[in-house]
Amino acid sequence: MGNILDYSLADFHYNDNPDVLSPPEEFEEWINNDKIKRSFSFFEQQLLAAPKAETEILSNIDNKKRRVINLTSYNYLGLSSHPEVIKAVKEGVEKYGMGASGAPLLSGTFDLHTKFARMLAEFKQKEDCILYSSGLGGNYGAIQGILRKGDVFILDEKCHKSLVDGGTLSGAKMLFFKHNDINSLEMMLEKSKGKRTLVAVEGVYSMDGDLAKLPEIVEVCEQYNAKIYIDEAHSTLMFGKNGRGVAEHFNVEDKIGVSFGTLSKSFGGVGGFVCSNASLIRYLKCYSSPFNFSCAIAPPIVAGLIKALEIATRDSSLRDKLWENTNYFKKQLLSMNLNLGDTESQVIPIIIGSDGEKLFQMAAEVQKRGLFLQPVDFPAVPANARRFRISVSSQLTKDMIDEACNIIEDVIVKGLKE
Amino acid sequence: MTKEEIIEVIKKHIVENLDDIDENEIEPQKALSDYGANSLDIIEIVSSSMRELKIKIPRVELTDIKNIDELADKFLQYMNK
Repeated sequence: MGNILDYSLADFHYNDNPDVLSPPEEFEEWINNDKIKRSFSFFEQQLLAAPKAETEILSNIDNKKRRVINLTSYNYLGLSSHPEVIKAVKEGVEKYGMGASGAPLLSGTFDLHTKFARMLAEFKQKEDCILYSSGLGGNYGAIQGILRKGDVFILDEKCHKSLVDGGTLSGAKMLFFKHNDINSLEMMLEKSKGKRTLVAVEGVYSMDGDLAKLPEIVEVCEQYNAKIYIDEAHSTLMFGKNGRGVAEHFNVEDKIGVSFGTLSKSFGGVGGFVCSNASLIRYLKCYSSPFNFSCAIAPPIVAGLIKALEIATRDSSLRDKLWENTNYFKKQLLSMNLNLGDTESQVIPIIIGSDGEKLFQMAAEVQKRGLFLQPVDFPAVPANARRFRISVSSQLTKDMIDEACNIIEDVIVKGLKE
Repeated sequence: MTKEEIIEVIKKHIVENLDDIDENEIEPQKALSDYGANSLDIIEIVSSSMRELKIKIPRVELTDIKNIDELADKFLQYMNK
């Protein structure tokens, strides 16, 4: 191994160690290097309080408890700790206990699950909905349930791992098109002519915060009679006049075959859901492994999720506040000449470039100054576009955003000039 | 080993890792992504090719490579080191 810092997780996925229970040769040497260990110390830092806009963490950098402005949690609308949600969860746990004690198929479907699935289907304006106990399980369960060997699954290259894993499990042929590139998509559609074809895109892409070019994607997919699956994990309850997502934002909801969302981000709970036509949902309930073989979402969580959906849709106040915060934050960051990529959403990257060591030095410094702002390194993002990623929350106050910007200016803007 | 032989090794691993690809349709001027490969497919193709060629190159050094021909050039450069 030459310079150990030139290596990354991308170099150790492939494993040809003759001992199947051992990682690749040189992995131990790499992961135990002091500088590599420091970069890993940003993972699994403990939160000591609710993931609100201001919270407390136990820092892995210096092992100190620290109050922080939270720019990392996906609690976009603050619903995980909304008083009405907490009350609903408490009532749920009193009535139903902690867990579902079964998979949805046999004994894990409670009245709450049926009610919530109906509410979600109506919200997304689809015929029916299936719930999953995790977002990842929802994506791969739906894809694995829909596609078969001989089918073609075309994905934007920036789609989430859960979609890729679903495709692998299904046995379908997978083709990837360049991010949001309609010509590249058309090239893949051309290759799949005559086969059952599903195209997967995301409403908001989670590392860049840009949106799928849905109007153009819909048009080209219609030409080839391919169906569209949209992952609205980072857009449900936030985009569109009624918060239904990016498909509503672009007014193409009736062109979307399957709409997926998570229950862990704007909803503030945990789980995933898939909305589509009633016959497909019926079919998925027979063949989607995470629905049949994994325990249902805990009933108290479903009670909280029902309340979260009610709160987020009874008026637009939460998402209005989110966009007010996002626009203000973005304006301040742009005034510092930071590179925010192509963000169009509440996910705002601060792209710092190719210097991984500098990224982690700055990450440690911003945390010591009181910001919970996580670095994102290669191979999660391109090696020349390492970054910080801000998740804006409706809970942030103007003072918190101003303080966050002061820290970003002192550490990141100055650091980039050095 | 010549560059042409290196390209043959890469082609072999593309065929092994991607569905429905005929070795004869692979053109060195094209990128692996033009054949629908995702990042994990590319890791498999590049890693198994490097293993066969007995070289080790950090992935970060390959990020600017645009096509199979440039990948072969990089491999050749390391083999001659």
